[in-house]
Parts: sequence; C-alpha cells; structure tokens
Amino acid sequence: MIPKGVSLNPNSRKTRFARRFICALSQMRNPRPVSSSNEEEVRKRSHKIKIAAYLSMARAVGSRRAWSRALLFKLRTRARRHNIMIGRRSLCLKKKRVIKNDPLGELSQTNKLRHLVPGGKTMDMCSLLEETAHFVTCLATQVKVMQTIADHFAK
Amino acid sequence: MQPCSREMQGINALLNPPQISLQDLHDQQQQQQSQIQSSNIHRQVQNSHFDPTSHDDFLEQMFSTIPPPSCSWSDLNPAKTPAAWDLNPRDLSDDTAPLNPDNNNNVAFQFDDSANLASKLRNHQISGSAKSAAAAAAMMLQQQLLMSRGVAGAGDSGLIPMPLSLGSADDNVDGSSSFKSPNLGAHDDSVQALFNGFAGSMHGPSQTPNQTQHFHHSQGGPVQGQNYGSPGAAMNQAPASGSAGSAPAQPRQRVRARRGQATDPHSIAERLRRERIAERMKALQELVPNANKTDKASMLDEIIDYVKFLQLQVKVLSMSRLGGAAAVAPLVADMSPEGGGDCIQAGGGNGGAQRNQTASSNDTLMVTEHQVAKLMEEDMGSAMQYLQGKGLCLMPISLATVISTATCHSRNPTNRSVLQPNGGEGPSSPSMSVLTVQSATLGNGTVDASVKDSNSVSKT
Repeated sequence: MIPKGVSLNPNSRKTRFARRFICALSQMRNPRPVSSSNEEEVRKRSHKIKIAAYLSMARAVGSRRAWSRALLFKLRTRARRHNIMIGRRSLCLKKKRVIKNDPLGELSQTNKLRHLVPGGKTMDMCSLLEETAHFVTCLATQVKVMQTIADHFAK
Repeated sequence: MQPCSREMQGINALLNPPQISLQDLHDQQQQQQSQIQSSNIHRQVQNSHFDPTSHDDFLEQMFSTIPPPSCSWSDLNPAKTPAAWDLNPRDLSDDTAPLNPDNNNNVAFQFDDSANLASKLRNHQISGSAKSAAAAAAMMLQQQLLMSRGVAGAGDSGLIPMPLSLGSADDNVDGSSSFKSPNLGAHDDSVQALFNGFAGSMHGPSQTPNQTQHFHHSQGGPVQGQNYGSPGAAMNQAPASGSAGSAPAQPRQRVRARRGQATDPHSIAERLRRERIAERMKALQELVPNANKTDKASMLDEIIDYVKFLQLQVKVLSMSRLGGAAAVAPLVADMSPEGGGDCIQAGGGNGGAQRNQTASSNDTLMVTEHQVAKLMEEDMGSAMQYLQGKGLCLMPISLATVISTATCHSRNPTNRSVLQPNGGEGPSSPSMSVLTVQSATLGNGTVDASVKDSNSVSKT
C-alpha cells in the first residue's frame, strides 16, 4: 500500500514524521460521518490535523533544534489551556496578543520572520536564519508527506 | 657602526678590563642580539667592577673620539639639550649632558648605547642562570657610570629623573620596580635604573626603525615608568612586529589583521558576525525557490513569503481529504459525504480564465457534480477518472480561493474557479505558486487549476 516513489529509508526525518502523523491521524477518528457537512466541524478537524502535523514534525526533529523545542512548548501549553477552564486562560491569551501587537505599523522583515518561525522572537539574527533554514526544510518535508498521504487516500 | 666598534675596540685595548666591558657592550650594540647574547655575556659578568677614575677618563675619551653613531640615534636626539634632564630616560642626551657638556649628542649615544647594551645583555641573561651575577655586574657598571658622571660635574638632579622610570621597565631585572628613589645616595638603585633605561634605549638602534618611532614617541614626555616599560617590553618581545603598517607593536594577544583592516576587537567581532549571517543567507538561498536575488532585503522577503506559503500548504492539506481520512480504515464511506462538502469543481485549464466563461458553464458543472457525487459513492477511482475525462480536478474550496486570488495577480491566464475569493490568505507576491491538492492521478498532463510550483508538484 505504500505509494511508489517514496523513499524507504527507515530513519529519515520524512519517515519518522510520516509514521507519527499517521498514528495521530488514526487516533483522530470520525465517528459521525454526517456532521462533517457542518463547517465548524470541518474547521475544527482540519485544525486538529494541522496541529497534529506540526506536533509530529516537531517530535520527529526532537529537541535538537530551537524551533522544535519552542513549537513543542507552545503546543503543550496550548493543549493545557484548552483542557483547563478557558476563563482564566484567556487573560494569558490576551497578554500574549498584546505583546505581539507592534506599535509600529510596519513590522520589519526580521520581525516578520521572527513571528513566522516558532521560537524566533528570542533569537539573534544569525541563529534565526539558521533555524529558518531548518524550519523550511522540515516544512517542505511535511508538505510532501501530507501530500502523499492525501493522494494515497484519494485513490 | 663598524668604525665605531673598531674605535671602541682600540680604546678598549688602552683601558682597564672593567672598561672593556663597556666597549664590548658597545660592540654588541652594533651587532645582532644573538651575538650579544653569545659573546659578551661572559665578559660582562666577569668584568664586574670598574675603576672610577679610569672610568672617568675612559668616558671622556669615548666622548671625544667616538664618531657619530647610526643615523637612527642621531635622529633620536636632534634637539636635545644638555639641560633637558627631566625628559624620558630613553632620551640619551640626558645621561650624557651632565657628564660632558661639550659632548655632541652622538657621543652621548655611544656611551648610553654601551650602557644599554650592558643592561640588555643582563636582561637577556637574567632569565636563566647568572641572574644575580649579571644584575650585580650591571649594578656595578651603573654605579661606576653614575659616579663618573658625578665626578664629571653632573648635577644629581640631572641623573635622578632618568632612573626613575627605568626601574619598572624590565621585568627581568631584579628589584627594578623598587628603583623609584631619585636619591643618588642609593647608588645601586639608580645605577640599576640607569641600566634599565639604557637597555630600553639600546634596543632601539639594534632593532627595526619601527622602534625608534617609539623612542620618538616616548621622548618629550614626562618620566613615566610604564611609558618606558611597555614599549621596551614590547620591543623586547616582538622585535619582528615589523613595519607592515597594519599591526603596531602591541601586546602579543592582539589579532594580526590583514592590511587595510582594523585590529579593533569590536570590528573583528562585527566582521565575523556579518560573515556568519552571509553564509546563512546563502544556505537559505538554495532552499528557497526564486532565490536569484542579490539584495538582502528582497531575499528576506522571499524567505518570508516562502515560509508563509509552506504554512498555507500545510493548512490546506489538513483541510483536504486528510480531514476525512482520519481513519485509516475504509475511506470511501467517510469521504464521499465530505468530499461533496469540500470539493469544488474547477474549470478546465485549457479554457479561458474569464469569470463569465465559468459562470456560463455553471450549469454543466452542476450536472457533472451530481455525476461525480454518484460515482464517488461507488468508487473514488472511477469518479476521479470521470473528472479527468472532463478535464476537471477536485480541490478544496479554500485552495481554490487561494488560487483564484493568486491568478488574479499573475500573468498566467489559467482557469478560474467558481468560488468566491477568500481574499484573506492569498500570497502577497504574484510569483507565489499554489499547490493543488489533487485527489486524482492528474500527473499525466491533465490540466490543473493551479500554477505549479517547482517544489511542490503533485506527484501522482
């Protein structure tokens, strides 16, 4: 059932990510097929899938990279926030947003990059570029694998 | 230099053995440092005492007969007056003026050179064995010199400032740091200091002209031990610093910079940082497509756009059939109702890209849609093949909106989709290409509704 053209290196980042991602997907079951027509449900599920994708990617990379550590931390705190009462956590959310809001109208390019790359806010330019490079390769891998899975399931 | 040494040798022959040491020292000054170390050390140690009276005569003889020294020395003290006692100890005229007022400066140099040679020899030798002996010898020599100078009529005050700074000059000298008292009564100390000073000034002519610059620099300043000490030490340690022009005779720890570049540690760190950033940017350039920009700002823009694009791809993919394919189990049951909700139908790629065309073909599309939905219930493959036959493809709505907004800006008049544009998440730059989430085997040249990216071609 493995689609042709996929490398079978068992230790590559790609396969590690694929394995984790498929496991996560299988854990997300869809018991109610009818409710899928609801847009809200669709959005929630796609959001969950996206989170699962990022999570499995970060886990596949491990703690070696700053961005993966930051991403894991963010996802864990977010999960904890969702599980606990929202009322108290919303304050934290608001605080975070205030920090994100820039008094300037235009964010500089470096700042934009910092917002895009997880954990980029506390890095200097040099390590930010390095993390960006690694992040880009991992994102490309992620997209390829997801594409493959989607194609496979589409057949 | 050679005539001087020869003359000195001649004078030496007439004088007492103690004075010969001076002569030898003078000789050594003309020669290389290595020669100094090899030949004259022993002699200096042996000739450790002076006869004051004969010493005085010898000095006068030296002053009268010694021809001018090397030009560097003459350059050193062109304007020195005998009364300039409180100048830097390396100012040689200070030493010699009280001794013999009608000396020319050159003669003074000679005498100082020999004394400096003595101290220099001592300094070189002190590291190992004959430290105390050499120091004692030097002290003796200095003492003799000072005494002779005193006899010649030199004011005590004249001699005093000179030794002041010399005391702390040489680390090799024992107790050099203690030679601060300007009292001639402490003859040993002053003599020692004198020798230290001589050593420093002696280093000049025997080394590169670069050091004479330091002499120039230090001359005229107040008597400062450190002023003398550091250049002397630097010269002692780094005689080969040379006149490259880029690195002055600074302490060894400085990084040797290339010509035309600063040696400032801040600028070096800045340069390293810039180089690192440049090589990281180069690495990023290879990853990101359309990376033929040379400008750093535009390169950063490209990188930002590419990262946004990839994140959008992930989002779209998560909205696609993956959402329905959460179960690894048979998918058709799950997918068909969702497929109906998610999928849209796009116009054929070979058709026009005008909205009116797509609008007109809506009716046919509706029919096709029903057909496809029916087929999907049975078999996804056949449904896809049906679509392919029609030149259509399936794609999520959000993706189609993205494509439509992208193709609005792009030059490529590809087909348009029927959907309302989202307008929110479209990529900003027109060069962005959007991946089509294709659920069918469309790799065989079937028209897509998207501009394919070089990286993210749907493989099928």
